This record gives sequence, C-alpha cells and structure tokens, in this order.
Amino acid sequence: MTEARRTLRQALALAALSVLVAAAVHLPLIKRFARGEFRETFFVQADYPGVRLITLAEAEELWRAGETTFLDARAADLYAEGHVPRARNVPAAAAKTFVPVLIRRLAHETPLVVYCEGGDCRSSLILARQLHDGGFKDIRVLGGGWEEWKKAGLPEETGDDQE
Amino acid sequence: MIRNKPLLLVFRLVLGGLFVYAGVVKVVDPLGFAQDIRNYRLVGQAISFVAAVVLPWLEIVAGAFLIAGVWKRGAALVITGLLVFFIVLTLVTMARGLDVECGCFGSLSRKSGWGVVFEDLGMLALGLCVLSAPAALERTPAGKR
Repeated sequence: MTEARRTLRQALALAALSVLVAAAVHLPLIKRFARGEFRETFFVQADYPGVRLITLAEAEELWRAGETTFLDARAADLYAEGHVPRARNVPAAAAKTFVPVLIRRLAHETPLVVYCEGGDCRSSLILARQLHDGGFKDIRVLGGGWEEWKKAGLPEETGDDQE
Repeated sequence: MIRNKPLLLVFRLVLGGLFVYAGVVKVVDPLGFAQDIRNYRLVGQAISFVAAVVLPWLEIVAGAFLIAGVWKRGAALVITGLLVFFIVLTLVTMARGLDVECGCFGSLSRKSGWGVVFEDLGMLALGLCVLSAPAALERTPAGKR
C-alpha cells in the first residue's frame, strides 16, 4: 500500500471512530432530535426554568414600568455606542467576573431582561444561563436584541457603564 | 520538509493538544455549538445538529491520536483538512459580511475574523509539517540514524 493511501485510510478510520463515539455519547440527545426536538431552536426551555424569551413589546412594557434590571450582554465598545437607557453592561465574555457582583448586589427575585446585538446573537443566552446558574429566578431574554429596540425608535443612551 | 524528530514531536503535542481542547469545550455544550454552526447561515437546523454532535469528537479523536503518535499521518490529514475547511468558512463568512461568533473554542469564542484565519493558518503550518515528514524518519528504530 502506498503511503498516501495508508494515510487516507487512517483518516477515514478516525472519522468513522469519531462518528461511533459521538453517537454513543450523545445517544439521548440524538433520540430527542429523532423525536422532533430542536427543529426550530436549540434553546431548550426545560433546561432553564427561570429563563423566558420575550418580545420587544413585553420588553418595552417592563422597561417603562421601571422595576426590571436590563442587562446588555454585548462588549463594552458596542454598549458605549448605544444601549437601552439604565441598562447595565455585563459582557457575556466576562460573565464570570460580573455575575458574582450582580449576585451580591441584587436579590435573586429581581426580574432581569438580558439582550445582545440581535438576530442570531447568542451572548444573551450565555449570560442568561450563567445568571440562572447563579440563582436568579426571573430572567427574560429579548430575542430581537438591541437591533430590534433601535429599529423601533425606542429611547437610547450612549456612553460607558459608570459602575 | 522538517526532519527534526524532537521538533516534530513538539508540533504534534501542541496541535493535538489544541484540537483535544477545542473538542472537549464543544462536547460539553452540543446545543450551544449547534447554534454557533446555525449562525453561519450555511446549513439548516438538522445538519447543524449532526455537525455539532460529530465534529467535536473528530477533533478530540484526531488530536488524541496525533498526541499518542498512533496513525499520526492519518490524524494530521484529518486536522489539516478541518483547518482548510475552517479557513475557507471564515473567509466566506467575512466576505458575506456576517458578524458571528466563530465557535472555535466553545461558547465564549471570539468573532469570526482575521485573527481566527491567522490562528488557523499557524496550526495548518504545524499540521502540514507533521503530514509531510518523511515516512522513513518515523520507522527508523530509536538509536539508529
């Protein structure tokens, strides 16, 4: 057998082995997929009992009522360019530093609305997950994010988070 | 072509280690990784799911074999193949003007961009060195040169 063919056969065998291991390890997940789950979204509500996706109208209502803490999960530079007024900046990438601070400052029952850029951004879900694991009980995620808020012409604020 | 055996060993350990690490951080959150793949807007929900289940294990298996020195050319071929794919994917994504997280190292990855491309090119160089090392070098019994 030539060296090239031997290499190719090894690579194919490694690929086959990976498929087998993946199928064995993720069997429960694969079964759920086969039953029709994850066809619309990979976000599993049952895994996050306190986390809910909300619409822009709900977010606006909560914001106007003023009793909800808004958290902007985007990086600091994007936050500074424009954000929901009174929202705190908690970049998802630095959630490990910020979440413990929030846990100390806010009661676990405090309703939170988390958002990121919008569209398919995932950082709000990452942050929501960390907040959920940190003990917060009422976390809502604005799916449309900052893009949707801005497009709707709702109030904006610029500048860094001062705290 | 690099013939220095200790250097090739270092390349294998570094590249294999990076791939095992990249695979492990994805294996723990398959649905998160599936969303990362979906965000590239190239494939649908089902293919994103299958790729998210298999790809991390391909990285771990190829990385582990490369470290262990078993079937190292095959493992290097898998890894260089993946890297070429990642580089093309990142360039295509940048050309389409999409702002997505690369998904390279789990949930807190950076944005897809030039940094990712250069990193992948660096790893590709290591992979090609391992892949192109003369076969005779491998089979030389220790002590005989």
